[in-house]
Amino acid sequence: MKNQVNKTFWILFFILPGLLIVTIFIIAPLFMSMFNSMYSWVSIDRDRWVGFENFVKIFTKYPYQDRFFNAIGNNVQWFMTTMFVQNTIGLLFGYLLFKRIYGSEIFQRVFFIPVLFSVVAVGFLWGLYLNPNMGVVNRLLNDMGLGQWAMAWLGDEKLATPSIIAVNIWRWVGFPTLVFYAGFNSVPMETVEAAYIDGVGEWRLFWKIMFPLIMPAVTIITVLTLIGSLNVFEQVYTMAGLDGGPFYSTDTLGTLFYRTAFGGIDTGLPEIGIGSAIGVVIYVLTFGISAFSIVALRKREVEL
Amino acid sequence: MIGDLRFRNSGIIGKALIVIFLILMIGYSILVLFPLFNMIISSFKTTREIFKAPYALPEIWKFSNYMEVWNKGGFGGYFFNSIIITSLSIAVVLLFGSMAAFGIARYRYRLSNLVYLIFLAGIMLPLKAAIIPLFLLIRGIGLMNTRLALMLIFTAMSMPATVFILAGFMRTIPGSLEDAARIDGSNDLGIYWRIIMPLTTPSIALVTIYNAVPIWNDFFFPLVFIQSDKLKPLPLGMSVFFGQYQISWHLLFASLSVAILPMLILYLFMSKYFIRGMTAGAIK
Amino acid sequence: MKKNLVICLLVLMAGSMVFAGGSSESDAKEESSSKVELNFWSWRTEDVDIYNELIDIFEAKNPGIEVNFTAYKNTEYNTILSAAIKGGSGPDIIHLRTYGSLETLAKPGYLMPLEDKVPELSGFGETVLLGATSASDGEIYGVPFASQTLVIYYNKAIYAELGLEIPETWDEFLANLDAVKAAGYTGLANGGKDGWTLEILQGVICPNFYGANDFFNEVVAGDTDFTDDRYRGSLEKLLELRPYMPDNFMGIAYTDMQMLFINEMAAHFIGGSWEAGYFGKENTALDFDVFAGPVAKKGDTRYVSSFADSSFGMSADTQNSKEATAFLRFMASTEAGQFLTDKLTMKSDAPGVVFSDPFLGRVGDLNENNTPYIMLVGFRYDKPTGSELLQSLLQGMMADSINSTEVVSQVQEGVSSWYKPFQD
Repeated sequence: MKNQVNKTFWILFFILPGLLIVTIFIIAPLFMSMFNSMYSWVSIDRDRWVGFENFVKIFTKYPYQDRFFNAIGNNVQWFMTTMFVQNTIGLLFGYLLFKRIYGSEIFQRVFFIPVLFSVVAVGFLWGLYLNPNMGVVNRLLNDMGLGQWAMAWLGDEKLATPSIIAVNIWRWVGFPTLVFYAGFNSVPMETVEAAYIDGVGEWRLFWKIMFPLIMPAVTIITVLTLIGSLNVFEQVYTMAGLDGGPFYSTDTLGTLFYRTAFGGIDTGLPEIGIGSAIGVVIYVLTFGISAFSIVALRKREVEL
Repeated sequence: MIGDLRFRNSGIIGKALIVIFLILMIGYSILVLFPLFNMIISSFKTTREIFKAPYALPEIWKFSNYMEVWNKGGFGGYFFNSIIITSLSIAVVLLFGSMAAFGIARYRYRLSNLVYLIFLAGIMLPLKAAIIPLFLLIRGIGLMNTRLALMLIFTAMSMPATVFILAGFMRTIPGSLEDAARIDGSNDLGIYWRIIMPLTTPSIALVTIYNAVPIWNDFFFPLVFIQSDKLKPLPLGMSVFFGQYQISWHLLFASLSVAILPMLILYLFMSKYFIRGMTAGAIK
Repeated sequence: MKKNLVICLLVLMAGSMVFAGGSSESDAKEESSSKVELNFWSWRTEDVDIYNELIDIFEAKNPGIEVNFTAYKNTEYNTILSAAIKGGSGPDIIHLRTYGSLETLAKPGYLMPLEDKVPELSGFGETVLLGATSASDGEIYGVPFASQTLVIYYNKAIYAELGLEIPETWDEFLANLDAVKAAGYTGLANGGKDGWTLEILQGVICPNFYGANDFFNEVVAGDTDFTDDRYRGSLEKLLELRPYMPDNFMGIAYTDMQMLFINEMAAHFIGGSWEAGYFGKENTALDFDVFAGPVAKKGDTRYVSSFADSSFGMSADTQNSKEATAFLRFMASTEAGQFLTDKLTMKSDAPGVVFSDPFLGRVGDLNENNTPYIMLVGFRYDKPTGSELLQSLLQGMMADSINSTEVVSQVQEGVSSWYKPFQD
């Protein structure tokens, strides 16, 4: 009995400070904005209770409906590309660093530098590199005789989202690299040594022994990628603008939400009710999908 | 010990693969360093030159850009505010976050999943979504126009991801270490501080940099919550270079080049701990 | 070694307690003297110095009043202003956007009606005041600041070099663009990456083809709508400009456009009268002038689109309405108008202002025949606004993803969801 009280005390001791801060400054305001989504608004004043009307609008009424599904499509593209390209590269890099490939000390320090850039600098520099006329990308293509591949990377409806995702991968690939690197490093050395003594090859060692042991890192990265992809905002905002141009081809739930809730820069008016409703939808989606994937992925984690 | 990790028994194909991987990594490193270099040389040009010859070295090195930035109002003060706000928020996040992660990952109890979910719930929506309720809250508790307001918000904002990442790593620490310490008479606080925390160092380093960068660069929350000039952090101070129709890119780049320094230093300092964590694992 | 990190952490923690306590105290507002302080917010970060100079003039005349000018980043201004006003800590004097955007604050009653407070308003022109008038109650909420005109900038040196004349008709304009292109310059600096620059393109080119004020009045009254062939046909004209735009023009952003013209790589720039100050500042050697959008045939009246750019308003719950009124009356004076006109190269609307700058004089001449900038003046009063629809749809049209018929029908569908005259 005393033991039980003791345990409860310690759990509360460890959890409460963090929990309090999160509850007051995140959960409470979020509940407030859910509340807001149930009202109609006269510009920035709450008007009257309308129940789910704002939600119905998002799903059924022009132009909200078109924008909403268009944006979700782009978010899905973000998730798939990030998951398969960025995280695969991250896994590879993380493993190579762990294996002390030549120069790993240097690579390990260099790879994280893009994360340190402010998004303003990233947006500007890559906007410049991808610029159709003076961009270094098109210049290189021209010099290599591949002039027909020189494109308006950010101005083309088909290329704009992939280009922005590519820049985002450039910016963030260091993060999964380091998470996987840390994951590999926490694998007990004896396990690796034992495998080597048994004469297990690199390929098998990686997939059969190392990978299952870093499942916690895989869970972390997958869930953070999910959350990140559903909440994409800044990168699109700095490279394509709040309207998700050209012609909404880069629009995401994040930009759509922001534009609706606060109004475009000088073209739009705020619609807090509908904006909050979009926020709630983003929230429910993210929470549902990530809770689900945590449960699914945790099952595969190996207890040590 | 470290030598043991290198690829062994690799045949021709293995060697070729390693070369390809090396080229990939070198390529990426160039992609990383070029923009950094580009940003720094741009900070010595005029805005017109930045657009006219974006990749060339400056015709005349305009060190005066830095002088202008420095004189354009209290940049020293902005810098100081940024340092205070970022370091204190991070300190609180690391302490409370690692405690909470410990409380979630190292105990078995019925509500642990619920607690975990509450923390997770905070990760998912950009807090910007709730800016008006948050504004009313901060004003209600009388913290408008204070650094403390920003610290609390940044702490809350960084907490969920911190708990999530740290709890993930803490789970992988074998229970046997904890049991041994308990037999030696350690209480829970001792286990947290002397056993689990040291073993979590690499991920602590990771979380520090993961959270510090967005806090350091954020200008939205300071914009909403800080009015008096002497409390402004750097990114908000920098926003004066953005006009409606014109942007002073040369000044912006000068300030961005200065602003990235503390993060670079922090990262280079932290990156030591990735290696340290590595050897610790090996010795154990 | 790991200890170090942990100790660092501990020290920081301890520090945080001290600072956290300290910071809130040290932030307490400096106790004000007997002076009344007015807070004045704007998004014109590039004009801070000029406004402060103007405020000095005001303060010298009104020793009891101190005005604090704060400029927020343009893109975030709306957000911070609504949050602050909602939370009851907004400024006394507010730099307001015009027409529909004014409604955001005027409709819920956050602004003070000014007509009986600022008698100087009667000296302003009617069209200019429209930008500061709320459509819902007809009250005037702002002292108009400046009007903007949408024009075509051309590089005089290139024109002289190639012996070109200012074009009058559309065909002459295209001929000039051909000549410029043949000489190796970019004909037109404009691109399509930023949707709003396409709306401006429309504002310059289209009125002379859709029938300017006649069409505007009809469409506002609901007698016709955007699917009218006059409007659709005028949008088709924009497509004819594509060959003269930079390669891959859909990737050309606003700043790229400015740089192309400033660095004399492009011969024309279609944009607003506010550009002149920046052009001159960035390249003092640049010799440029403006002309109005071309017309279909010789002798047609040449219209330019124009609009009220912004205005200065007063918060409804300011504690210092007497002082704020004094400041707004000053802002409505010829003196303040003249000062802003001279310093910003913008056309102030204040009565009695003279345009000594030849560029402004020229813009004034073009305004002989002006027409409202259609979407801003007429269709930005509710969501989705005509502008937000048109900007993205024009991007689609310029990239050949949709045709002009789809553009006009989607604009019509979006606007008619709230615009009453379209609903019956």
